[in-house]
Amino acid sequence: MKRDLLDILRCPVCRGTLELEATKEEGDEIVEGSLRCASCGEAYAIEDTIPNMLPPSMRD
Amino acid sequence: MTQLNETEIKEVVKERYGNLAREASAGEATSCCDDGCCGAEAELDVIMPLYTGTDTEGLPIEAIAASAGCGNPTALASLSPGETVVDFGSGGGIDCFLAARQVGESGRVIGIDMTQDMVNLANSNARKLGLSNAEFRLAEIDNTTLDNDTADIIISNCVINLAPDKDSVFQEAFRILKPGGRMMISDMVLVDDIPNEEAEDTANWVACLAGAEMKDVYLGRMETAGFVDVQVASETALDSNEGWRAAVRSMNIQASKPV
Repeated sequence: MKRDLLDILRCPVCRGTLELEATKEEGDEIVEGSLRCASCGEAYAIEDTIPNMLPPSMRD
Repeated sequence: MTQLNETEIKEVVKERYGNLAREASAGEATSCCDDGCCGAEAELDVIMPLYTGTDTEGLPIEAIAASAGCGNPTALASLSPGETVVDFGSGGGIDCFLAARQVGESGRVIGIDMTQDMVNLANSNARKLGLSNAEFRLAEIDNTTLDNDTADIIISNCVINLAPDKDSVFQEAFRILKPGGRMMISDMVLVDDIPNEEAEDTANWVACLAGAEMKDVYLGRMETAGFVDVQVASETALDSNEGWRAAVRSMNIQASKPV
């Protein structure tokens, strides 16, 4: 995901803002990392540039 | 109306479209249904020249979109540079790639799909095309996780019929659209009732048939969500329209969020 996607991304559970922890970046692209909700604490993985924003109940 | 439950529907849809994505990744031509309602997902070859050469220069976007099997070329043609586009059910990403060309570097296209394999496929296709303004995310179309008032336009090709709770999809679309934003979608809609046993068959659901709703109900849901100027721009019968299938239409539908 692009770093500036954070500006318009919200937690699917509580709509809180998300905090990014990037473990691998290429330019403005976040390749690996996670997003954590500042309000409810739920975490969402970013793998191979794709953030998994499915709520916990919908993950495989 | 169908007695299938919401969880069951989501699971069979995810399984079916995950399989399609894996087939497309393996180079097999795919379509969500047998009727050609939504075109193939593996038509990357058609739009590759847009990004790598000049073969398609001068061609209207409608022509390119039609040859790539896109359901709503008019929506793509309406896009302006700088716009933010959200695609509900982006699949292999074809519509997003065409949209990305239209909105340019100052624009942004966000494809949303709940199937991991589809998002992987779209992401891989975007890389092949060298696109930097189209991105894909795993999310549900009734919970896009986008902030309020972020999209200029929502596009969607033959996907909303697959959603068990269409009200929540339209409410979500309305929420993330900017005031004055538009929704330009294609979908399967009914002009007559279909038999209960067909509506309750999950095979018909994943083929975009059983989840289709009566036209007035469908358009009414959009109005209830707050949309104005809700209109059917065009409607087409299925290629195979024997028996109860005669009640199913592919429609291009447009609506706006009030300013």
